[in-house]
Amino acid sequence: MILWLARSAMVTLYPRTDAFPGIEDMDLDAYLLDYKRECATVMWIGFVLGTLLYHLTPLLTVLVPLPAFALSERLQALHAERLVSHPVYLVRQPVFLLKMVAGLRWGSDPRVRERFALAPYPADPGTRRLA
Amino acid sequence: MTHHSFSDRNLELDVDYVVVGSGAGGATAASFLARGGATVALVEAGPWRDPADYPSSTYGAMRDLFDDWGVGITRGRALWPIVQASCVGGTTVINSAICVRTPADVMVDWERDLGVGGEAFRDAIWRHQDALEAELCATVVPHEAAGLSNLRAAKGANAIGYDNHPITRYAKGCTGEGQCLQGCSSLRKQSLNLQFVPEVQQRGGAVLSCAPVERVIVEGRRAVGVTGRFREPVTRRLGARFTVRAKKGVLLAASVTRTAPLLMASGVRHPLLGHGFRAHPGTGVFGVYDDAVDMNRGATQGWASTHWRTDVGMKLETLAIPPEMVASRLAGSGALLLERLEEYRRMAMWCVAVRAEAVGRIRRGLFGEVNVSYGFGRPDMERLRKGLVVLAQTHFAAGARKVVPGVYGLPYSLGPDEIGLLENGPLDPRAYILVTSHLFGGTCMHGDPSRGVCDDQGRVHGYDGLVIADASVIPSTLGVNPQHTIMAIARLFTERLLDA
Repeated sequence: MILWLARSAMVTLYPRTDAFPGIEDMDLDAYLLDYKRECATVMWIGFVLGTLLYHLTPLLTVLVPLPAFALSERLQALHAERLVSHPVYLVRQPVFLLKMVAGLRWGSDPRVRERFALAPYPADPGTRRLA
Repeated sequence: MTHHSFSDRNLELDVDYVVVGSGAGGATAASFLARGGATVALVEAGPWRDPADYPSSTYGAMRDLFDDWGVGITRGRALWPIVQASCVGGTTVINSAICVRTPADVMVDWERDLGVGGEAFRDAIWRHQDALEAELCATVVPHEAAGLSNLRAAKGANAIGYDNHPITRYAKGCTGEGQCLQGCSSLRKQSLNLQFVPEVQQRGGAVLSCAPVERVIVEGRRAVGVTGRFREPVTRRLGARFTVRAKKGVLLAASVTRTAPLLMASGVRHPLLGHGFRAHPGTGVFGVYDDAVDMNRGATQGWASTHWRTDVGMKLETLAIPPEMVASRLAGSGALLLERLEEYRRMAMWCVAVRAEAVGRIRRGLFGEVNVSYGFGRPDMERLRKGLVVLAQTHFAAGARKVVPGVYGLPYSLGPDEIGLLENGPLDPRAYILVTSHLFGGTCMHGDPSRGVCDDQGRVHGYDGLVIADASVIPSTLGVNPQHTIMAIARLFTERLLDA
């Protein structure tokens, strides 16, 4: 459930545009599963907090008493923009973490890197010296 | 050559010296001890990643190289991440290998105010730095590898007229791949997993990786070894116990945020343990140019200015960051954010590191976690703001069309005639996105045992055989990158151990 909610938020944060693919075009489900499995506990807790905050606060931002995932595309975009620039620091920060985790995936996509004249990243080996 | 990594079989070793931590301090100390003929075990909490294991992406770097994904934070009014590595070689694997000599004024202050150091100490530090520069090929960033961001910073600074210089780094034949942060897979950067750690092995020492030390074994008032349990780096599953007994001494170089808590966990008592935490927190300003800068081509950090190191208390430097980091750094979301990101190729990020007067404290929490309380007061915020203003002016002097300061409460971008907004920008630290780097203190040296945890040979007051050999002993900020100082201090303390 939390991954589904996170996915919904990330799609709004990094949508498809004329210039770039959206994060929804980047095998997001697999990325979120990897992230859940691999990230540090503290980072996961912050990520969950950011996701819940994102979905539970449209009343504060767009004055609609619905979770963010139930908003129209236009209202969700407005909600996201107001949340990432929210005057309360402790509201901004967890959402910043959510935006950062999404940005790590979006910005490393080969199509995005190509747009910036950067070579695609080789796969991260994830290996270490064993003996 | 012996390497012990994660294992389900208990391990017991007997050596002359055990060194905890394999970063700038630990690897340097261990190699120097091994050169002196001692048997050494070097114990590292993180895994051993060879260049073939290095990640390419920032996600991979955070997962494979950073300490706890880089989410350790300092807690004050604002929460600032602490950037350091947890792997064999420590932060030398992910930093820019910047090599700056310990400033004389800092050591004069130490002698005058703290009763540590003195002329012989200064001469010894610089003698070791001479040797380190030769061993690790300290070289000025070559012009052809500098990249446009670094060259434009020099152009802007020269146009304004303040002192600036290309950076000297421990790098041999840098080709400007812009991959310092993920580990230099082209083998140019002389990180210590490639230099001193293999030397420890070649000289008969043992290296333990994935081996976080739980406590120093103290018998009476003498440190006689360390113990802990192997930990698998991905699953974090605990493995077997390792115990390394040391006949001659235990050297701690686990990093500023780990060394003091390790002493606390080991029952070492001193009223100032964990006190005196200092740092050079910093942030950056993007300049947006009319043509492509491609900051990720060229040395990750190739330009610096220490013009305001002593009077204001700040250092300026370039820092190239990849699109995935810029994506979260820029304000906004959705289509607006992506529109801003379209300018990435024309962006250059330059940073200010504040030589902060703030002093924090490191504590060990109930569950063994590390808590660092630290925050800026008004004078440090004014330094930060001054640095951002100078960076903005430098961008404009270098030809930028606009700057993106990334300050909450200010417009997204500012033109040349809007710098006044930045000069009068907020003094609330929560309005800025800062990163805490260049950490100092926690077990500060002092000539008076009641006013410092260790002496100017790193020996913990009141204990035998227990030496600190990392930035934890440094009792003030330096105003320059600390790796060269940490390595020289580690060599000096080790030299005195061997002479004793």
